[in-house]
Amino acid sequence: MSFRSIVRDVRDSFGSLSRRGFDIRILGNGRGRSHGAVHELHDPVPVIQSSCWANLPSELLRDVIERLEASEATWPCRKNVVACAAVCRTWREMCKEIVKNPEFCGKITFPVSLKQPGPRDGTMQCFIKRDRSTQTYYLYLCLTSAVLVENGKFLLSAKRICRATCTEYIISMNANSISRSTDTYIGKMRSNFLGTKFVMYDTQPPYNASSVSHSGTTSRRFYSKKGSTKVPCSTYSIAQVSYELNVLGTRGPRRMRCVMHSIPASSLEAGGSVPCQPDIIFSRSLDESFSSMPVSKSSVMDHSMRFSSARFSDVSIGGGPAIRGQALSDGDDLKDTPLILRNKVPRWHEQLQCWCLNFRGRVTVASVKNFQLTAAAQPAAGAPTPPHPAPAPPPEHDKVILQFGKVAKDMFTMDYRYPLSAFQAFALSLSSFDTKLACE
Amino acid sequence: MATREAGKKMIMLKSPDGMEFEVEEAVAMESQTIRKMIEDDCADTAILIPNINSKILSRVIEYCNKHVPTTGATGAAASDTVAPAALAEDLKIWDAEFIKVNRATRFNLIQAASYLNIKGLLDLTSQTTIDTISDNSLEEIRSFLSTKNDYLPEEEQTIRRENQWAFQ
Repeated sequence: MSFRSIVRDVRDSFGSLSRRGFDIRILGNGRGRSHGAVHELHDPVPVIQSSCWANLPSELLRDVIERLEASEATWPCRKNVVACAAVCRTWREMCKEIVKNPEFCGKITFPVSLKQPGPRDGTMQCFIKRDRSTQTYYLYLCLTSAVLVENGKFLLSAKRICRATCTEYIISMNANSISRSTDTYIGKMRSNFLGTKFVMYDTQPPYNASSVSHSGTTSRRFYSKKGSTKVPCSTYSIAQVSYELNVLGTRGPRRMRCVMHSIPASSLEAGGSVPCQPDIIFSRSLDESFSSMPVSKSSVMDHSMRFSSARFSDVSIGGGPAIRGQALSDGDDLKDTPLILRNKVPRWHEQLQCWCLNFRGRVTVASVKNFQLTAAAQPAAGAPTPPHPAPAPPPEHDKVILQFGKVAKDMFTMDYRYPLSAFQAFALSLSSFDTKLACE
Repeated sequence: MATREAGKKMIMLKSPDGMEFEVEEAVAMESQTIRKMIEDDCADTAILIPNINSKILSRVIEYCNKHVPTTGATGAAASDTVAPAALAEDLKIWDAEFIKVNRATRFNLIQAASYLNIKGLLDLTSQTTIDTISDNSLEEIRSFLSTKNDYLPEEEQTIRRENQWAFQ
């Protein structure tokens, strides 16, 4: 664009001016007094009021950032919004205020968007590139609606690590170094030996940390390869995936069941939401996460403290919150049954002699890995869901929340929506890559 | 209410450093703030524009002069011969030239545009700022805006990682 290039020229000239350093600025202040010449078009010496831009009146700053947010709606331009949020505190606060969560605006902006629920209207279209030689997987955001694309915005990466008794997929925000010992590690997916059961781990506690993760929480301190920094890190089990044994013989479709402990089933009801979404994607140091947790019920230590205060104090002081806490967690148990996702059962197509699912053009290659997940109808008091639920489920439960499928050798599309996050959707998709001895 | 004769009416604008500018009412009314003053009959004597020095005010008037709808005798002739698209293109080039000023001036212009509520100028100054921010590294943006990095070390680290991810 010619206009931009003109502006760029101007900017370049600014750059060279500011590089000349302080003496010029002082000089500038000295001669700034003489405002006599009215038509001074190209003032050669910038008169810099110290950080005037940082102290831009908030309504003006809002205006500028709103424009930026609106004009840089797609990647890669959207990185400018992230850059703006990095300028200084005032700018960051304004950016965070203006940029909405992907749930409402359908856009991924900050890395934290990756752990926030996807859009309520429409899907977030992504694709996964597999590198067989290095056993790595890369998740990209589609920038066009085309199924087979070369470029996208990098979102997440994963590396498959085979261990003696299980397989792990380490999920990272860094495309180049995928390791648990870096601070870009954000979670993992671990399978059992057969690859029929998976557990999803997050480095951040879910909203219901106390009830969910007591079995799965492992606090681990590990050392990075450089040996200097200690990265304390907790992992919280937030979901379980099981591939059920196939009754239809060797070539039939898989049955998949995902229990999302961190997402209440109520999130799909009218007015429902996913509680306590993170405001930061990076795992905090342990001390910090204790102090800044909105409801600190994340640890065993915390529980024992509450317990001891109830024991040693009067009922009126210590007992009050303890009882209230108890009542609250009971209520949680009733209200917050976890969301359960199941794959849609494909239909056997007589003419084509294959199993068919409608992927709406987003999946082009038949594969046993392809799947569509929908919310399972809520079972009454934990009764197993019948294979074909007789009453028509509410429309929200009919929507495909995650679909994953092959489009080329080593290329897969992954479309997800509310209430799943990109991280969760990616982890669920990764589970489909693993060989299932009992399922095929 | 602004009739053709009213368009010829002159308005006196006064900057706080004592300079007076006589402009056509139509030009002054490019500013929604001044328009409101005129419509409220507060413009009998000179209008004092606070916070905007004569240097900036003269530039703002220059902008308004250029952007006032060309309905005058000379303007009509010009717009009849030149296609509207070409005219808009002309204006764009003129704007780009107009905004080639140092950052202090640009900062003052954006403030003036905001105070005087001149939409076109506000669009122009904001967009130029956005273009400046676009495609630059964090250091370049901070240096351009001459802002100080006021983050704590941990926050700074988080922000670095965020940026690294965004630019990956």
